[in-house]
Amino acid sequence: MDSYYLTCRSLTYAQRLSRALNSAGIRNSLVRTPNGMSNDGCGYSVKIKSNVLNDALAAMRYSSMMPKKIFYSYEDGNYQEVSF
Amino acid sequence: MIYLDNAATTLKKPKSVYTACMYAMKHMSTPGRGGHYYAMRAAEAAYECREKAAKLFNVKDPENVVFVFNATHGLNIAIMSVVKPGMRVVVSGYEHNSVIRPLNALGANIDIAASELFEPEVAVSVFERKLLEKPDAVIVNHVSNVFGYQMPVERISDLCAEQGIPFILDASQSAGTLNINMEKLKAAFIAMPGHKGLYGPQGTGLLLCGAKPRPLLQGGSGSNSTLPLMPDYLPDMLEAGTHNMPGIAGLSAGIDFVLKNRERILAHEKHLISVISEELRGIQGLKVFASDHVYSQVGVISFKVEGVPSEIIGERLSDCGIAVRAGLHCSPMAHKTAKTYPDGTVRVSVSAFSTEREVKILSSTVKNIVKEILC
Repeated sequence: MDSYYLTCRSLTYAQRLSRALNSAGIRNSLVRTPNGMSNDGCGYSVKIKSNVLNDALAAMRYSSMMPKKIFYSYEDGNYQEVSF
Repeated sequence: MIYLDNAATTLKKPKSVYTACMYAMKHMSTPGRGGHYYAMRAAEAAYECREKAAKLFNVKDPENVVFVFNATHGLNIAIMSVVKPGMRVVVSGYEHNSVIRPLNALGANIDIAASELFEPEVAVSVFERKLLEKPDAVIVNHVSNVFGYQMPVERISDLCAEQGIPFILDASQSAGTLNINMEKLKAAFIAMPGHKGLYGPQGTGLLLCGAKPRPLLQGGSGSNSTLPLMPDYLPDMLEAGTHNMPGIAGLSAGIDFVLKNRERILAHEKHLISVISEELRGIQGLKVFASDHVYSQVGVISFKVEGVPSEIIGERLSDCGIAVRAGLHCSPMAHKTAKTYPDGTVRVSVSAFSTEREVKILSSTVKNIVKEILC
């Protein structure tokens, strides 16, 4: 299934974000940010399924947390940044 | 051996601490170095430890809980972040060399707010006077590692906050026993070791950040690798290099123990100190540094035998199977303030695992040693 990568400034921030989403009942996984999504080198993202993006955005706003960027990831590995 | 040198290191830990250290050695690599199971297991353990510390010390955000090697490391970061050469820094009269040496190395102007032992009201008024001259920073040792004297840090931090003066707290002897509330204290930084009252292993410590720090070490952070300098956000900016994961996992288990038992530990330690105080005060030839008020002494008590070097008493106790620490305890300033410099004192310090039986054996052994020496 297609997914979104919520890229984060640090591993710890990604962990906080992941917990905030878990608390809202949104399943997610903590992954390394694929090269190309970040210009800064190594980083971590929270990965969610594409059908929960709106819920995830609402949960993030509720907990006053936002990712650096959001990328839509196609099943073939291509990706595209989306605005939020 | 009866171990009563817990102000240096709590030797006996909860069983869960040993288990956690061993588990980490076998199953954890390093947070931020990879996305595989072992790296992510380490990342999870590190984050859990930050969360627990944030809960224990009321830090708003786990990102502001930074892993350091010990309290000295944390204090160096705090001091180098706040103090610049020539700045005037007010300190209590009971500071450890982990504060005084970095300040001297920086060329800071150290202004000592000296006051008598176990006189918190006097301490507050001395700080009030010193703060009228608008210092650039204030650093206070929460509990003296020599005398167990608890400084009235809430009132001192309030005075600092009123005037916008950065306040740094050395919580080396208080973390794990006293209530430390980062938000309430409005501290720029609070530094503490992991291997004392938090019951973690040696080589661990925490720095709670309420102000923007400056990195002391530069290197790999596992994040923003293309940047030529350290990232400018916490905790990454202060955590260069590989984490001490066995230590952090053990510290996390130690904090669990404290979260469940802190008030009980405090009451137990206060009781033992009052027992030691009462017993030692009954021995002729001994000067005991004990407070008459239970609220101003925590976990540590010092004594000396007039005319006998404290190291001799420490050595005799060691020969009798009792571990204490004698001398200046890396705190010559505290001894100068209490007028026990340069001879120092014999320090007895307890933990959650010390027993009344042990401290009574200590007292009777001291009594015999003193009798032997003085008669």
